[in-house]
Amino acid sequence: MIMQMPFRKYGFGLAAGLAFVLGAQAFIGGPGVQFAGRSGVPFAGRPGGPFAGRPGGPFTGRPGGPFAGRPGPTPYPLSYPSYYGNRIDIPADNPLSVEGVALGRRLFYEKRLSANNTVSCGTCHLQRLAFTDGRRFSVGFDGTPTKRNAMSLANSLWVRNFFWDGRAAGLEAQAVTPLTDPHEMGQSLDSSVLKLRALGSYDGAFSAAFGSGAFDSAARGAAAITPERIVRAIAQFERTLISANAPYDRYLQGLYRFTPLEQEGYELFFGGGPGRSLGCANCHGGPRTLTETYHNNGLDSVFADPGREGVTGMAYDRGRFRVVTLRNIALTAPYMHDGRLATLPQVLDHYSDHIAGGPTLSPTLRDAAGRPEPLHLSAGEKKALLAFLNTLTDSTFITDPRFSDPKID
Amino acid sequence: MKLLVFAVAAFMLTTGVRGQSAGSAAGAAVVKVTGEVTRPLTLTAADLAAMPRTTAMAKDKGGVEHSFTGVALRDIFKEAGVTTGRQLRGENLAKYVLVTCADNYQVVFSLAELDLSFTDRMVILADQMEGKPLAAGVGPFRIIVPGEKKPARNCFQVTGIAVKFAKD
Repeated sequence: MIMQMPFRKYGFGLAAGLAFVLGAQAFIGGPGVQFAGRSGVPFAGRPGGPFAGRPGGPFTGRPGGPFAGRPGPTPYPLSYPSYYGNRIDIPADNPLSVEGVALGRRLFYEKRLSANNTVSCGTCHLQRLAFTDGRRFSVGFDGTPTKRNAMSLANSLWVRNFFWDGRAAGLEAQAVTPLTDPHEMGQSLDSSVLKLRALGSYDGAFSAAFGSGAFDSAARGAAAITPERIVRAIAQFERTLISANAPYDRYLQGLYRFTPLEQEGYELFFGGGPGRSLGCANCHGGPRTLTETYHNNGLDSVFADPGREGVTGMAYDRGRFRVVTLRNIALTAPYMHDGRLATLPQVLDHYSDHIAGGPTLSPTLRDAAGRPEPLHLSAGEKKALLAFLNTLTDSTFITDPRFSDPKID
Repeated sequence: MKLLVFAVAAFMLTTGVRGQSAGSAAGAAVVKVTGEVTRPLTLTAADLAAMPRTTAMAKDKGGVEHSFTGVALRDIFKEAGVTTGRQLRGENLAKYVLVTCADNYQVVFSLAELDLSFTDRMVILADQMEGKPLAAGVGPFRIIVPGEKKPARNCFQVTGIAVKFAKD
């Protein structure tokens, strides 16, 4: 079911109605297929797609497919504003289902997935902080701090490469790292499977999410719990963590008028106003305030952390880190890959006055001659930018019961 | 004898380590040409220097015009075996070119707008500005689209050129 109207220009002329994409996931592939990484093409929001018009309906599978003629998981009806665009990332072998998302939610908050049953994904990704943890570095099950700051999970649906250095292609690959890192949750997926099987209370949820029975006789009861399914379910849940109900969204939908200060900040950020444009949107562009790119934003000239270079081996990637969304940015302090900046005013001070030069400094922070070009913000401009950044806080996202700990034992 | 074994082992160890560090530090930049091609290419600086050279003009951020030299995408496509010229008809007109940069910035061209049977505009993969290697942060390879009003597709540090079919 698609209700979509074209957005010629964000934030204008939208009073006629809201545009939301409501899509149903087609089930292609089946349980037991290896991760496809980032190549998956989702069916969500595709007009005329095979499951258009029947979100949430019972799913009986494609003719001849592995689920043919058999009731299976119910496609999860993803809903997001059309101005977010459909460049979403759902692997073909892990479509979202209601049952898969529900299981993923339980697993996200399941402390038994850590070596000493003290830490879950939700320990370092707290809903009330837009799924960050308020610390410079997170603390694993054994008390060891992580090397980088915990990233927000909001709108991960539109991200294709995870971590600050983009080394994990897709949420499935991402989830494996904190689960199995010797200092984060510290438990192999095989051990997690054994612990969950021993509980007994997860058998039905895994079967419901990923099928069982005649299709896969090995997947009955406890055997339905597998390492791949643990990460797939968590990834499914994380893909539903969509934040799209901030005052800025209501502005984009024509339902909210910015205060003069917010308007000034918006125009400084995106341009288009009578004053200057700061170019923030070069990296934090569009309604999602995110382009998925890697930049050295001038924190250092000499890097303790090589960033993206550690993945590519290329000198020109030294000190580059993934651009993060600014959605809920007021909630996700401290800032930067190492959490060195405690407050948003400190972040603005950084861009205003402290851009460090170096061969890999982002071209967006250089002048025509290639020199570092700090923004030199006035006190008034900082105030306006802060006002605008605060309109990105989505209070319903951080209280949405669908995303909270289900507290099922 | 023990000493000899130790010496050989130490030699292998040191050369091994040296080779490894040199490999990761040097990390030579390349441009991969992939997708709807008959010969996928991995182009090095030396490969581009040996190909037919083309010069194109474009303005920098400050509005000053510069001369860029490199290889026309048309010539890269010829090398890779892309449907150009007389072959660029029918369903081949639904092909596009996705350029990816080191920072993951991506821009798209339709194959037709890069083809000399459709346009005289010669888009190049440049490796020199005013006869010198491109500046750090921009090079070693960038796209230059002559005459484009907005320079957003003159992208930096190109790592990939993929020819694709629109499939919708």
